[in-house]
Amino acid sequence: MRKVVAMVGAVALIVSGTILAIPSASAAPVCGTKAGIETCGGVLSNGAAYAIKIPSNFKGTVFYWNHGFRPSYPYPGYTPPKGVEEITLGNQITKSDSTNEMLNLGYGVATYDRSTGGLHGWNTAEGVAMLKELVDTTKAKYPNATKSVIWGSSGGAPVVNMFAEKYPELTNAVGLATPVATNIGRQLQSGCDLFFIMSVFFDPTIKGCDALGGKGVAGHMAALGELAKVGALLTVWSKNLGAPGLEYPAALKGGGIPQRSALLLMGLLAGMPTKSQHMDGITTSALVAEQSINATVAILENTLDAAATGILAGQAVSEVVGGKFYDNTKTDYTALLDEADSGRYNLGLSGDEAIGAMLLMLKMAPRITGEATGMAGIKALDKVNYTSTKPTILLHNEADRLVWPGQSVAYVDAKRAVFDANQSKYEDALASAKTGAQLLAAMKMKPKWNTLALYAMTPETYTKYTEAGLPVLTGLGANSGVGHQAFSAAQTMAFAKLLYYAANSGNIPSSALIAKNIAAGVGLNPDLDFRPTELKY
Amino acid sequence: MGRLRLSYRQPLRLGAISFKERVNVVKFHPSLSKPGFLTLVAGLAVGALALSSLPASAASDPGITDTEIVLGMQLPQSGPASPGYNKVDDAMRAYFDYVNSKGGVNGRMIRLEVKDDAYKAGLTVSTASSLINKEKVFAFVGSIGTQTHISVIKDINRRGIPDIFVNSGYSGFYTDPKKYPNSFAGLGTYVVEAKILGKYLKETYGDKKIGILYQTDDFGRNAIAGFATAGLKFTPKETAATFIAGTHGSLGLVSQMSQLKAAGVEVVIIAAVSSATAVAVATAAKIGYAPKKWAVISVGADATTFQTILGAQGVPLATSAAMLTGVISASHAPAAGDSSDEFITAFKKINDDFNKSPSKAWDNNVLQGMNAAYLTTQALFGVGKNLTRKALVSYLETKGSSMSSAALVPLGYSKTTHEGYTGFWIGAYDASSVLKPVGTDRVVYTTDSGTGPVTVSTYKRPAMPVDALPKGA
Repeated sequence: MRKVVAMVGAVALIVSGTILAIPSASAAPVCGTKAGIETCGGVLSNGAAYAIKIPSNFKGTVFYWNHGFRPSYPYPGYTPPKGVEEITLGNQITKSDSTNEMLNLGYGVATYDRSTGGLHGWNTAEGVAMLKELVDTTKAKYPNATKSVIWGSSGGAPVVNMFAEKYPELTNAVGLATPVATNIGRQLQSGCDLFFIMSVFFDPTIKGCDALGGKGVAGHMAALGELAKVGALLTVWSKNLGAPGLEYPAALKGGGIPQRSALLLMGLLAGMPTKSQHMDGITTSALVAEQSINATVAILENTLDAAATGILAGQAVSEVVGGKFYDNTKTDYTALLDEADSGRYNLGLSGDEAIGAMLLMLKMAPRITGEATGMAGIKALDKVNYTSTKPTILLHNEADRLVWPGQSVAYVDAKRAVFDANQSKYEDALASAKTGAQLLAAMKMKPKWNTLALYAMTPETYTKYTEAGLPVLTGLGANSGVGHQAFSAAQTMAFAKLLYYAANSGNIPSSALIAKNIAAGVGLNPDLDFRPTELKY
Repeated sequence: MGRLRLSYRQPLRLGAISFKERVNVVKFHPSLSKPGFLTLVAGLAVGALALSSLPASAASDPGITDTEIVLGMQLPQSGPASPGYNKVDDAMRAYFDYVNSKGGVNGRMIRLEVKDDAYKAGLTVSTASSLINKEKVFAFVGSIGTQTHISVIKDINRRGIPDIFVNSGYSGFYTDPKKYPNSFAGLGTYVVEAKILGKYLKETYGDKKIGILYQTDDFGRNAIAGFATAGLKFTPKETAATFIAGTHGSLGLVSQMSQLKAAGVEVVIIAAVSSATAVAVATAAKIGYAPKKWAVISVGADATTFQTILGAQGVPLATSAAMLTGVISASHAPAAGDSSDEFITAFKKINDDFNKSPSKAWDNNVLQGMNAAYLTTQALFGVGKNLTRKALVSYLETKGSSMSSAALVPLGYSKTTHEGYTGFWIGAYDASSVLKPVGTDRVVYTTDSGTGPVTVSTYKRPAMPVDALPKGA
């Protein structure tokens, strides 16, 4: 937990380090060749840098990378990146990527710094325009770059999705890694709930997402101030694991409910993963005596990143949508507690009576009222229709603490709804066809299911304890399935290879090809019907 | 690495040939004139739609071939919750081995794949995944535990996998088939049992102060609801003592038993797991609390579990037997020690002949396992040769209430509820830890999980087939 607390100043969604020196502002790429790789750099029309790498054994497919969300302003431990920082899907824990392996296979790679005038923030629409310019530039430079894999991670996913729908002629396959695959507002609502629940049970001074909406540096600092309050709580919990009784609200003080129960409830209401880097949700010790307490420590370990998503991305989004978007005046927190969760984690939640008492407190607590402009704005943000027919492959950690895997579930569900509607239209047209021409026209309406979601799984158990029974919260922990944008090289390459196949065939890979690429040991779930925890909103 | 399961709708098929392929076959057949081609294509289109609406063939469901049916089960085979429960799977396998020795079900041998979840829900989730994706089970059968099963029931149902004869009395699993359409109870619900037990206690000990110790979870909630319907109300912090499920071992339930003692409770009801019953009774003895009567919901009154747990704490068998003597409980089946019952006799023989477990000693857990396997076999026979998951669920909904079993009441299955046994008889443990009727005759009562009345059952249990092989209802 100490490590997590130390990360307050270096939230995991930030990848630091520049991988490529950028030439001075110029519309034309500047290229050089080294060890069989031609590397080109330049700037887009808005001044953002881009980079392209094409190997000598280039096979005609370029992977266009879209990185995730980056705050525009610095804070301790974080400096907004300038220039291109990652060119392919990198691992944010090990700080490594598979660019060289991809180049060795003859894949081209390209990316751009998603910034305007040095500012990042939530800039999906600008990202789509920049990506279009990057693809055009690449194709102009390399006429044999005939196939395009449009891929990205986290907050880059909205750019990818909007681009694929807007420019299908420039898209041959879509890759969504640990993606904000649906409207960011769905998860921000839960992220903001975290702050609200913490304000009820742990620190009444927390304003959370009610503090958002300020412009520029001032707004950023207000958001950071809220995150710092969470950091302070985490510092204390890192020592006592939430064992002391609740101090807030007054009605529960002295009632015998440990803080950890409210912490677990908070995580469950938000839909946060109940596994973390070091906690498997199963293994017990003398001090972590029950599986649900293991899960509680997992929530504890995941909270910082989840809160950071809510507050930092939330602040950036509030600037885009023009006001406070968070409103929980109609939220029924009791309904957010899944029946399975209240049963499975009953002990960690201190039993039915404690659950009832805590939910009652949430029901009675004064709520936060959003601003109409912000609320409407976030609903309309980054509108995607899920109509892309291009082969789409998603990759998510089953216990991603920052962008929850329910995002991928929601995306697949939305695509499936579109597919089912088209299937019905197709079947109706077939049934009503009376002539050969009508029949042939109907046959052309047949939809194709072209979406595949892959999940990286944790080992079954991996929690370690000290001799005293305290959980070990340092070191690598799970080697798969946890963290944000943290995939092994084997997982990343499996993803890349499947995307390459998809771009060149127009189809998601066959089950045989998938099996070949996710063979035992890779840590990807062979169960293609796997469904992790769903989003709450 | 198991075979992959594709998750989404496959292309419209005409049997083994896709619609497009059929059109191409027609299109390039030189003998077909154009009008004939159109007519045929249209006909094929209609055929395609008609065929696509047919139920999947047996071959399309995992876990079933012409020669085998693979069933999956989850239970605690290890850990503190395992005593007693860990005999159920061996009993089921013994019965299935007996069925297989007689040629199986319509030529298919039954294979039971069992996973130990140690009563830890995280392991329930991972082992369910293994049963589904590696062992490719056709159905889940007889899985044990409310808190564990609640972690996987949604996913099992989402996938359309039958989840039959679940060993949990939590009514929430069964009373709304729209929610869990493939889950069917293997026990009566805690509500039904509490209503019947509550009525008896109120009528018999109405002049005594009745209190309760219950675990604050789905089990406890169900029981409280049933007792309330029976007219038994309890006062929190006085006649109602609670504990968080799973904490009884560490707490020792001292404060709870002291509370009931201080309140002057004369009849103590326990709605908790067997290990908690053992702790409560032992603690009461330690603090000098001797209520006039104990009454325990059946899953908390298993004699084997009770005595095994106390035995591990150094309590001699004779002492634990004495503690259990006179304790009131309920059962939907004949007592395991009832040698006059034809089901008991037959199951005991099968257990003797086929159970390979070193801990196969006959008791109520073995009876429950045998009975679940008997019901499963009956349902599989009942569906017939064209066995599919949908057909099995449909069979249970339409014929389940007519199925025979060792139970003295029918299963409550219908399209509107998947509740299990609809009644119980009340008994008390004798000195040999066998449950015996509280009166001179065994009276079986029946009711529902709602507010319906408790009445005497008129059910006539069907006779067991001579070969102990039920061929369907």
